[in-house]
Amino acid sequence: MSDKLDAILAGAGSLLPELVLAGFFLLVVTLDLFKARSIKILLPWLALTGLFWVLVLQVLGGYTSGDTPFLDLLLSDGLARYGGILFSAAGIFTVLMALQHPRLEKLQEGRGEFYALVLILVLGLNLMAKSVNLLMVFLAIELVSIASYILTLTFKAEKRAVEAGLKYVLYGTFSAGVMLYGMSFFYGLTGTLAYTSESFVMGLYRADTLLVTVAAVLVLAGFFFKISAAPFHFWTPDVYQGAPMPVVALFSTGPKMAGILVILRFINNFTDADAFADVQLLLGVAVLATLAVGNFTALWQRTPRRLLAYSSVSHAGFLLMALLAFGTGYTSSVLFYLTVLLFMNFGIFLLLQVAEEKYGVYTLEGFSGLGRLQPYFGVMALVYLLSLTGLPPLAGFMGKLLIFSNVWEAYTLSANNMLLALLILGILLTGVALFYYIKIPYYLFFKGNQSHENLVISPSEKLLLALFALPLLVLFFKPDLLLGWIEQLLAQTL
Amino acid sequence: MDFILSSLIFTPLLAALVILLLPVRLQKPIKAVTLLAALVQMGLAILLYFRFDGATVANGQTGYQFVQQLNWIGFSLGSLGRFQIDYFVGVDGVSISLVLLTGLVGVIGVISSWNITKNVKGYFLLYLLLLTSVMGCFLALDFFLFYLFFEFMLLPMYFLIGIWGGPKREYAAIKFFIYTLVGSLFILIVMIGLYTSVIDPAATAVEMGLLERGQTASTEVLTQVQQMLQRNQISNYNLVRTFSIPAMMEPANFIPDSLLHVLSGSVLWNLPLRFIAFLLLFAGFAIKVPSVPVHTWLPDAHVEAPTPISVLLAAILLKVGGYGLIRIVYPIFPDAGTYFSILVGGLGVLSIIYGAMNALAMKDLKKLIAYSSVSHMGFVLLGLASLTNEGVNGAIYMMFSHGIISAMLFLVVGVIYDRAHDRMIHNFRGLANAMPAYTAFVVIAFFASLGMPGFSGFISELLVLVGGFGAPEATGLLPRWLTVVAVFGLLLSAAYYLWALQRMFFGKFWIFPELRPNALITDLNTREYLMLVPLAVLALVFGIFPHLLLDKIGLTVNGYTEMVLLRGQEQLGLILSTLK
Repeated sequence: MSDKLDAILAGAGSLLPELVLAGFFLLVVTLDLFKARSIKILLPWLALTGLFWVLVLQVLGGYTSGDTPFLDLLLSDGLARYGGILFSAAGIFTVLMALQHPRLEKLQEGRGEFYALVLILVLGLNLMAKSVNLLMVFLAIELVSIASYILTLTFKAEKRAVEAGLKYVLYGTFSAGVMLYGMSFFYGLTGTLAYTSESFVMGLYRADTLLVTVAAVLVLAGFFFKISAAPFHFWTPDVYQGAPMPVVALFSTGPKMAGILVILRFINNFTDADAFADVQLLLGVAVLATLAVGNFTALWQRTPRRLLAYSSVSHAGFLLMALLAFGTGYTSSVLFYLTVLLFMNFGIFLLLQVAEEKYGVYTLEGFSGLGRLQPYFGVMALVYLLSLTGLPPLAGFMGKLLIFSNVWEAYTLSANNMLLALLILGILLTGVALFYYIKIPYYLFFKGNQSHENLVISPSEKLLLALFALPLLVLFFKPDLLLGWIEQLLAQTL
Repeated sequence: MDFILSSLIFTPLLAALVILLLPVRLQKPIKAVTLLAALVQMGLAILLYFRFDGATVANGQTGYQFVQQLNWIGFSLGSLGRFQIDYFVGVDGVSISLVLLTGLVGVIGVISSWNITKNVKGYFLLYLLLLTSVMGCFLALDFFLFYLFFEFMLLPMYFLIGIWGGPKREYAAIKFFIYTLVGSLFILIVMIGLYTSVIDPAATAVEMGLLERGQTASTEVLTQVQQMLQRNQISNYNLVRTFSIPAMMEPANFIPDSLLHVLSGSVLWNLPLRFIAFLLLFAGFAIKVPSVPVHTWLPDAHVEAPTPISVLLAAILLKVGGYGLIRIVYPIFPDAGTYFSILVGGLGVLSIIYGAMNALAMKDLKKLIAYSSVSHMGFVLLGLASLTNEGVNGAIYMMFSHGIISAMLFLVVGVIYDRAHDRMIHNFRGLANAMPAYTAFVVIAFFASLGMPGFSGFISELLVLVGGFGAPEATGLLPRWLTVVAVFGLLLSAAYYLWALQRMFFGKFWIFPELRPNALITDLNTREYLMLVPLAVLALVFGIFPHLLLDKIGLTVNGYTEMVLLRGQEQLGLILSTLK
């Protein structure tokens, strides 16, 4: 018993970011009990302080305890640390966006709740990235999910939000159940839940191939739900439609990034093409389905929120495709892509928030003429959308180029024609993607019959929009700055 | 280090930044800044043309002039080792003509845009971005840099057509964007395949410690590295993969395990992977050329684009396609180039004939000109496919000459459209009586385009046809009947031009009454003279003194055809031997 206590005390240092987040969560919840307006106003800034603290902590490092996992559950390696940086940034961006959201700002009841949930969600994401035990993964995912369900329902009075929340809960609990079922298989097959350990892999080799495949499919179902990969993406458009915009932006980045990191650790068990051909094939099919569903369904969408929901599905497809490039050291490509995705998604969703709250634009047609009226808005939209499409000179292109390079290299190594097919499909779908992304600039600049009130975008919104756009340019022209740092982080603790 | 090429590329970009800072209402200064930038670019291009030494033979690997090479992006990526992307620009005989053309037409385009009234700031901003990216395309020697400019070209063009175009502009703009983007995606696939396969021997030598950083590599060191590479003696971590186009031309720089290596024996759908890569690249650039059957975006784009943008599109943007084929596709895949010469030449002849027949059937004068572009660009494909000196010289000459003449043709269409707001051939008759000076320029443009001796069009068509006829003996690539069929294209082009001339300009003056009153149909004004006279003079000068250009490009082309043919046959033999 005292051994355990010693271990907890010794390892607690590695969980410093999580402890800080938990502390600030409690602080926000407690202060929310006070009715005074001055305290209510303080809450987002408090959350911001906490998130910023964690961000700095993770950027500077120093707290990391090394390469032994905490209680064999949580490993604070470079991967988790970089993930944590992304999550904290996502949390900060969410709060900043929420501060620009007029209706969220007016919200008195549940104001503290909102920011507390953002904190707890980021905490959950951190735990997901650090987990090296399937049960811990499950707990972390559930923590994120529960926070997500409530955040979706921020505006309880809106019918759409309630519908979205309900769908989200139903899908979420179902996929969680399926995942747990799969995990129990793995425990039975390998005798351990430490899914990054040697004994887990050895157990897989000994076990029946069919059972392993079934278990992998069940567990991946839960992961796919979090990153909204097909065929577990059905909640995405509804939730994106119903949740407040800052929350949507957070959903499109945070859980997706954490989910990818979990899958990245998990999938490393199945790199052997001979033993796990079926698992790899199923993954390939999932990538194919995700890319196809995301890109082709997006073509028919009439509202920007749903369009971006399907775009988010297609980005999940690209990320999964990268994970199939076994043996090519794809981690830094994936992390680079996730970083770009963070800026692109927050940029475009902030833009949509401005469009909705300021100009009352809820459909694609609604954008008509807005770009000519507000050139700044129009140009920013163009930057984000072209980056999402993956055109130079924006970082979205660089992200895709790196991933495609890994896939090509993997094809060279393995001569697996499935990879080539995915590569060609992925590249050609960029053409399809352009077709739906360009719809927004099309209305912004080419159509001019909608009358908009000529409201000016506030300086703080302009600043934020530029803040999200600048990295997209920098990361195109100097991707080596970030890639070098990522390599350094990964090398330190792995 | 010579900064002339960088100045050529970035002068318009700098001007664009200046315009960005100018307030919208200062329309005159915005136009003046654009004109100034275009004039500076033209001046630099002319200076470059005179300073360019035609006697230096560029044989693909070396011989580029005014080279500037700076490290831009370098990173390592997992098991792929190090990557190197350079800011690498240079000019050789192939690009010098197109650089000159871009400089000249860029100025004409600004003059032609002088009357734009709708959103002046945005228009000239996009115009300048377009000039930068086109110039960048012609000067880039790094595939990544080329691709960046190549893709970036689409965006200004999309908006220039979509905002300032005719009634169906949105449709035309999207069609243009999607078509050319799909083309560039084909190119992207091959680019990824290439740069993961090719190393930079000099940088690799540095990594291996054979060279000091910053030291220029001697030929012995490079050969040593290449030999070690082919024997698999270099560790993966020392390999520096590169986007450099000259490095990709050298088969010895391909990593032995890579799928695009000549001896890899990799096959997909019963075709060697190198052949598939060639076909993808060819498809990508053929869309831009454009070649039948992927030309359908061009008539739409031309018809809807405003006059100056049509001029730019026909005169410069289409040339990027032909240039890409000459600069990238053939030298990197000479094996497949010789193997598929009948396909390339065949599509060229198909474009010549099909484009001309379509032109014959068009009722809209601008559409007629657009299809004549398709027809003339077919000569570029035919000349290149022959791989004879005359043929390739002719292809390059055709690109230059068509640039001058098509600019003139679209300006001429713009003149009548400005006055009548219509350009249907059957709505006009006897224009020669109302607009004699205009008619004179139309006649010059038409005759120059149909290949009348004395104009540059004649030289280029002659060279291509001589090359085509000589190909069976000289290179053994194209059957003679193909060139015979191409000759009929000349006949057809004479037919559609002369028929249009007869219908619109001869006879008694009449225009369709519901258009504008006759009094508004006035002859050319000063601004129009300013554009048409220089172009007519250029078409004549380069028709009478072809050596002005051929002296600059001739030796490069000699080296080029020799290299492509020799390597092509050698590598083709190797590839086919690995299949058995």
